[in-house]
Amino acid sequence: MYSALSMIARALAQGMALTGGIILLLVVGMTFLSIIGRVLVPLDIGLGPIRGIYDITEIGIAAAIFAFLPWCQLQRGHATVDLFKPAFPNVMNRVIDVIMDAGMLTAAALIAWRLFLGMQDKLRYGETTLIAQLPVWQGYAAALVGAVVFALVAAFCVIRSLRALARSESLGEPQ
Amino acid sequence: MSNIDLALWSFPILLILIFLRAPIALAMLAVGFAGTYMVTGTTMMTLNQMKTLTYGTFSNYSFSIIPLFLLMGQFATLSGMSAALFRAAESFLGHRKGGVAMSAIGACAGFGAICGSSLATAATMGQVALPELKRYGYPGSLSTGALAAGGTLGILIPPSVILVIYAILAEQNIEKLFVAALIPGILAALGYVLAISIWVRVSPNSAAVKPRVPWGERMVALLSVWPVLTIFLLVVGGIYLGVFTPTEAAAVGAAGTGGAALASGQMSWAKLVQAILATASASAMIYLIILGAGFYNNFLALTQLPQTASVWVAEQGFSPWLVLAAVLVMYLVFGCIMDSLSMVLLTVPIIFPIMVVLDFGMSANDFGLWFGILVLIVVEVGLITPPVGMNLFIINSMDKDTPIGQTYKGALPFVLTDMIRVVILASFPAITLWLVWFIDAWVG
Repeated sequence: MYSALSMIARALAQGMALTGGIILLLVVGMTFLSIIGRVLVPLDIGLGPIRGIYDITEIGIAAAIFAFLPWCQLQRGHATVDLFKPAFPNVMNRVIDVIMDAGMLTAAALIAWRLFLGMQDKLRYGETTLIAQLPVWQGYAAALVGAVVFALVAAFCVIRSLRALARSESLGEPQ
Repeated sequence: MSNIDLALWSFPILLILIFLRAPIALAMLAVGFAGTYMVTGTTMMTLNQMKTLTYGTFSNYSFSIIPLFLLMGQFATLSGMSAALFRAAESFLGHRKGGVAMSAIGACAGFGAICGSSLATAATMGQVALPELKRYGYPGSLSTGALAAGGTLGILIPPSVILVIYAILAEQNIEKLFVAALIPGILAALGYVLAISIWVRVSPNSAAVKPRVPWGERMVALLSVWPVLTIFLLVVGGIYLGVFTPTEAAAVGAAGTGGAALASGQMSWAKLVQAILATASASAMIYLIILGAGFYNNFLALTQLPQTASVWVAEQGFSPWLVLAAVLVMYLVFGCIMDSLSMVLLTVPIIFPIMVVLDFGMSANDFGLWFGILVLIVVEVGLITPPVGMNLFIINSMDKDTPIGQTYKGALPFVLTDMIRVVILASFPAITLWLVWFIDAWVG
């Protein structure tokens, strides 16, 4: 049961991270094309920068970053100060892991929930981006995918640290 | 409890949480959330902000430079440029006493010009230079210490992720910060080379030197690093001349190093996936801390602590230089235990408003640049000071024969040159600002 969960969490997190990476690469590519287009404007051959490239960049990066969150969570990639870890008793470290993972789950759930409400607002008011006139809610929707997976993976991490506490086995590298 | 009391109490609470191993982002989120509740008596305000705050932060155009620079650095590690840089530096320095270690520093400086991250620079150059240093009989302490210190050139020499964050927080001009970082960065590399030169003379060791390389071969080796120079000039020059926005420049840089990686034949699907996953983890970590810092700083702003503190400091009539010294020492101390990015995100919003009202006899713009470079250097020192120095750990883990104590010892001379450099740059702001003034006069 646990190993199945672990595999699903890993597949979800990695899949999201790679999707985010592809979005990032697309942003790089489009920005590059847009710059070339801008350089060619004086030649007047009908080429120019991509309209609203800054809007597209903002939406793309936001979606990518949300998609990166689950992987960071699963890999314990968050910045922490582990100075006192060796000084704390083993059980205390396990308990801290459970508490911090639960804290992360709370934060992730809160972020996803509020983002969903924010998306509804944007949908209701029909807000669009300044130049490209893209509906803002679509950016929120793309972000929401990552945020929901972040919460799911964070939930798995709570199970993972609870299990480690129960088994009191040494916490190895995440699988 | 007054609002100011609340704000003052929030520091120790935040620190306790962090020392209890709370992820720094989570600690700032939690303290910011709870603090705002205690000031306003309701959670509705924060909850309503959160509908747009997270997306707003993650989609902020200024921040979008960060994942792109991280991706650029990851591609740079696959470009084979680290080996080319090392060969070029060796052809110039290899025949000197301590020359192979000096070449490693030189190559780190070159790599820092296309990589904005310290850890990536240390890890990449470590792979190339450690075996060579071992082959020439360098002691483990010197080779690991030199490479750990060399790694910090990744952020000292622009582009630099830490400078980007500072620029956003302190509302400074990112292109001028990059230019201002250039001379101090080169001084850092020279200081490290000097430290090696003194070390190999003072402490007898078995390190061998390479034969002198003829100038023709040196030029060939130097020409082989043209992609590094091209990408660096395109990115930093392009930003400075206003050809690109900083984000566009980072995208160009990522495309450039990505192209170099493809051309070198080192890029495979597995490597690409690795590069993306590493970028993903680092970006998510940074953005979550930015989000947490946003919550925490909103709370501090509600209590008006930054304004009150800056008025208070100004009224006390402290010597500005004494305050500066105290701030820099604080960064050095905290740098020993905290990572540089979290430290900058946590402190700059509070410290900068205090510092900027003090009179150092220069314009606010110049001060912002100069102070930013000083902060950059002192937080970077934290990467090579025990007990928590990420560069030391990463290099030490690559050299199985050297105990971590030897690496600590090996980093010491380099930390010393960092200290001397901070004092010099703090005493003579013109060293940092000269190039900015010069280019401004020339361009404008």
